Amino acid sequence: MTTLEETFTLRRERVLVPLADRIEAHLKSVFSGFPRIDRISARAKSVARFIGKGAKHEGGIPKYADPLNQIQDQVGARIVTFYASDVEKVRLEIEKYFKYIESKKIVPESESEFGYEGRHFILFVPEDLIDDKLDREESVEFFELQIKTLFQHAWSEAEHDLGYKPSGALTSDQKRRLAFTAAQAWGADQIFNELYRQTSATTVLSEPSPR
Amino acid sequence: MPTPSQQAQAAPATKIDIDSIHSFLIHPGKGAESPHEINGAAVPKSGKLFDMLRPVFDEAEEDCPHKIAFNSQSGQQKNDSRDALIAYIKNCDLNHGRDIAKRLQVVTTHRSGLGLLFLMKGGKNGETKIVVSRFPADSGILAEEKGKGLSVEFLERIFMKSAKTYKAALYSGSSFTKDFWRGQAADKQINSAESVIADYWIREFLLSDFLTPGEAGTRRFAIAVRETMNRCAEPGVKQDIVAMQNFVAKMPSQVVSAKGLLDQFHVPEGTQAQIKDRFPKAKSFEETFTFVPGEFTKLVNMRTIELDNGALLTAPTDRFDQVFTREPVASAVNLFRFSTQGTIVDQRFRKVKP
Repeated sequence: MTTLEETFTLRRERVLVPLADRIEAHLKSVFSGFPRIDRISARAKSVARFIGKGAKHEGGIPKYADPLNQIQDQVGARIVTFYASDVEKVRLEIEKYFKYIESKKIVPESESEFGYEGRHFILFVPEDLIDDKLDREESVEFFELQIKTLFQHAWSEAEHDLGYKPSGALTSDQKRRLAFTAAQAWGADQIFNELYRQTSATTVLSEPSPR
Repeated sequence: MPTPSQQAQAAPATKIDIDSIHSFLIHPGKGAESPHEINGAAVPKSGKLFDMLRPVFDEAEEDCPHKIAFNSQSGQQKNDSRDALIAYIKNCDLNHGRDIAKRLQVVTTHRSGLGLLFLMKGGKNGETKIVVSRFPADSGILAEEKGKGLSVEFLERIFMKSAKTYKAALYSGSSFTKDFWRGQAADKQINSAESVIADYWIREFLLSDFLTPGEAGTRRFAIAVRETMNRCAEPGVKQDIVAMQNFVAKMPSQVVSAKGLLDQFHVPEGTQAQIKDRFPKAKSFEETFTFVPGEFTKLVNMRTIELDNGALLTAPTDRFDQVFTREPVASAVNLFRFSTQGTIVDQRFRKVKP
């Protein structure tokens, strides 16, 4: 009998890796010339991360009874912007060109907390990117898209890496330090956004009037 | 025989037979303070009515050409119409069918009139298929011979006078997480140049929209047109596109397919074939979307002046005035002479940056 790991490994090679390449190329085409985008990328979820996520429990019962159909970020894409205000501009553009079943702004639960932030979408894979040679059961219907600033991206990458260290859960002090770096990233985004707004306004105001 | 575009649509791999049918009489109820009670019944799986409905179910993949998807509500993976559909699939009884019927009733206007809703469901090897269809009420005359006499009666509630005139939506799948978000729809009642499917059927009742958003469909079409213009060497095709582009750029937003749009402007079949070849998939050429004029002009960014003598002068917007010299001939009547010179090397569209 084929295990979940074997099934996903096969799906990853045959379906998800080529699909991620097509999604990345498509996103780059749609956002060609769009200002202040640092990078656009897409990747197939690693086997280890998929199996780890599929084994999660919630309230003592498995969170995913059917991981192959229920886990929606088997392909994940990311758009990283320079400034916080660009995240909203990219969001509006995504809503024009893609059909979504979920769109949410992820922020810490209370005003006094600092942590992960970003805009997440669950998008339909566009029809033109679906490999018609594949059976519907073999492929995925959706992919996840994250839109973040450079600072949000940098923080989440480092935080994700630390969270996967084999040494186990972080101590209270380590979590506090991590929250401190999140606060700094948040502050940097605020200031850069404000500076961008001010300098953009200054550029317009300081332009010489036509003679 | 199904077209290639229909063959490639998401259809169940195996033929699924009908397991159950429920029917509900839907009175107009939009804005009504006390909507009419909804009566329903199970339809037997044999007899003339079943024989009439079976092709609607069996051939739904071919007969429902419009690809649609449920809309997210408030950004969440939730849609009340989808929830009602899934609850019906899971329970398959009159009560859950009535919930769908109520949703249709509250969006049905007096203009749409009385309708008969059928919910047809089947399953095989873990795959479920459901077809939701609405047949309008019609009127007719019943003539019965009684001995040597004739009885003539006017009937107001005739349904399925033509089994080919109805609205329908098809969904299929095996996972309630992954599947039953996208579907196919049809409106075989509509006869309008402005639309191909009634708004109330997909947007109000199904809380859905076309699977391909307007900007995405328009972008795909505009890129195919631009690429054909830039890469095709046939002067006749280029002339067809230049002429068509001028009309399309002025077209208001409307629900179309690329093929429908080109037919609308009488673009010759040879040129249509060239444009179709530039689509990522041939089947997308017939896919329905809402045309967005601004998106088209953004991607096919040429300035064109049309003269009353039929001339179309086209050049990149930023060099148009250098390419063409304009001389007033009779200013009082806005008469101008345009002139230009150069070696004919090619004709091209340019894309504008966002």
